Amino acid sequence: MSVSNTPSQASAKTKSKTRKPATRRQKRDWMFAAGFLAPFMILLLVFQYVPLLLMARNSVYDYSLLNPAAAKFVGLRNFTDMIEYDDASVSFGVTFLFALGVVLFVIPSAFSLALFLNSKLPARGLVRTMIMLPVVTSSVVVATMWSFLLDPSNGLINGVLNVAGIGNQPFLTSTSQALPALIAMTLWQQVGFGAILFLAGLQGLPAELTEAARIDGATRRQVLWNVTIPLLSRTTLFVVVIMTVFSLQAFAPAFLMTQGGPQESTNLIVYHIYNTAFIMQQAGYASALSVVLLLVVLGISMAQMALLRSRWNY
Amino acid sequence: MNTRNLFFASLLGATALWGTGAYAQDTTCTGETVTLRILRTPGNYPYPAPMEAWQKQNPCVQFEINEVPFAQLADTISVQAASSNPPDIIVYDGPNTQSYAAAGILLPITKYLPKGWDEDILPATKAEHSYEGEVYSPGIEQTTVAMYYNKKLVEAAGIKPPQTLQDAWTWPQALEAFKKCQQGTAGSPTVWGLGPTRFGNGQPGLVYQDLIYQRSAGDPKADPSSSAYKTFWALSPDGKTAEGYLNTPEAIEALKFYRSLFNSEGVAPKVGIPNAFFDGKACFYIDTPAAGNALLKDPKIEWGITPIPYFKTPIVHTGSTTIGATARSRHPEIAAKFVVDMSWGEYAYMNVSQRGNLPTLKSLFPRFAVYNSYPMKVFVDQLQEWGQPRPPGPKFAQYDKLVTDALRAVAFGGDPAELMADAEKKVQRVLDR
Repeated sequence: MSVSNTPSQASAKTKSKTRKPATRRQKRDWMFAAGFLAPFMILLLVFQYVPLLLMARNSVYDYSLLNPAAAKFVGLRNFTDMIEYDDASVSFGVTFLFALGVVLFVIPSAFSLALFLNSKLPARGLVRTMIMLPVVTSSVVVATMWSFLLDPSNGLINGVLNVAGIGNQPFLTSTSQALPALIAMTLWQQVGFGAILFLAGLQGLPAELTEAARIDGATRRQVLWNVTIPLLSRTTLFVVVIMTVFSLQAFAPAFLMTQGGPQESTNLIVYHIYNTAFIMQQAGYASALSVVLLLVVLGISMAQMALLRSRWNY
Repeated sequence: MNTRNLFFASLLGATALWGTGAYAQDTTCTGETVTLRILRTPGNYPYPAPMEAWQKQNPCVQFEINEVPFAQLADTISVQAASSNPPDIIVYDGPNTQSYAAAGILLPITKYLPKGWDEDILPATKAEHSYEGEVYSPGIEQTTVAMYYNKKLVEAAGIKPPQTLQDAWTWPQALEAFKKCQQGTAGSPTVWGLGPTRFGNGQPGLVYQDLIYQRSAGDPKADPSSSAYKTFWALSPDGKTAEGYLNTPEAIEALKFYRSLFNSEGVAPKVGIPNAFFDGKACFYIDTPAAGNALLKDPKIEWGITPIPYFKTPIVHTGSTTIGATARSRHPEIAAKFVVDMSWGEYAYMNVSQRGNLPTLKSLFPRFAVYNSYPMKVFVDQLQEWGQPRPPGPKFAQYDKLVTDALRAVAFGGDPAELMADAEKKVQRVLDR
């Protein structure tokens, strides 16, 4: 037996049926709203969605930027090439490792720093400035500076290691150390941003919850583990998604410090796409890689949102 | 009354002046004015003096110049060449000539070349700038590399580097000199045996400078099916095959030696050190004539030049930026005329003398006194006797990137056989596509 519409649904129907025609003032408001929104919507359409559609179309062509008029339709060949040759899988693999490393190190470091900045300990202002400086420094400057720091012969970091009795490390010229070195640099650069986000989250927590827990006899560690961290799940999700997307989009470290080497050990996917389009002159294949990257980023972000979705509200 | 007279007098004077101007313009340009758009790197030719001189003979031509840094030049050409309004003239990296010709970017200029050009041009330049029987760029200047040395450091170590091609060192002899001259611990010395390159980011592996190690282990006179022959050419003559040309026994032996310079012998750094040679932190250093010309103007150190060492066959790579007219130029005839004029006779001399690189025309060499005697004569001798273009082909840019990556990985300690096999595979994929 079917159930009739609930009263609220019925009233909504009635309302929609009996909706009064828009007044002149309402129409004028709509026009104004559309006018104000139009510039942004047009920019969004022209510079975001149209290029995405063009990219999707280009991914089924084989062409060179030097002569796009000679583009040849190749169907899904660019996508099957990603399976047939190992460059895409290597590059995606390197990028995932990079993203994983960055997220795994940035989240706890940023959270710890945020706890420190949220406390009443001395030198908070100084630390806040210190951790924010790398965030506002140009990626090019950061990459150049770290290239000098990581110099395998005369770099400052090797100098410090020598003092500690450890021999010179190859860092960026080693297949096993180059990626960790880039992760360390990104951690140094991004930890401030993560800390500021966590700090905002911490300062938004209602004090009465922690106070109640403390009155109930919870230790500081128990409060942190059972109250603060669960309540910060929304902030954590945001930081994780932001850091993951930043990492998947990273370009400057590979471009400026390692040029994807040695032996593709730092061939991050965005750098690989740039290389494929502009150096290798395979713009169609680069478009196909971009389509896959877009889907991967969407997939990862959705998975993270599903796994880390907030179970607590305040 | 006076004011009115003054007003009419001024009006009359202004009209007369305007008329004179119009007349003057008529005498300088009687036809339609044409604007040629030039894309080049900063500080590169065509230089103002030859351009102004050319404009006096071609008064209806004006220029609009756009400049981009060398590192962005290829990307910019990629984008602008396909646009609806491409530049008329491009100044680009010479080894890309065949790529641009195959893509239809460059205009063939064979029919515009003056009489005697074929006999006067350096063979390596002609080979680099030709594609399927047509010449696409006349070339203006040419460079190659030689090995500079710091006289004070080298003499202190009791080394006497050769000064002529006949006495040139082999690479093992050069290594002995590097080791003898180097000061400090191998791998992190205070003075390096062989300084880092100034090209790119200072890391080793560039095809221009480092592919000559393995190419010199080959033999161009050997049987064309032999590995020695293929090693020397490093790409099939038709530019379509890489397999069997990079991963040869001769190449691998040479690359093991090359790897040792940066690793087991520790005489060369793996990363760039700005101005290492000029600051007295390297005994030997490989560079183009530009370094010599800079040192002649400002002799920071006492220096000399020795020819590039070799294994079996001496070889140096040639190449420089060059000039070409674009196929889709709105004024192809005038663009081609300008390009050819700038590279011939007095205009070529004016352009080459501005920067101090080597000319591409043999007839111009005697006019550059600096290249007629040691040390700079080594460059001229090398260019004429040993010069070879980097393996030319319509996919040079891709070849250059893939082989540079492989050579760099070898310098960083990778396995030469594995890396060259991988490079061959990747280059072949590009060539087959």
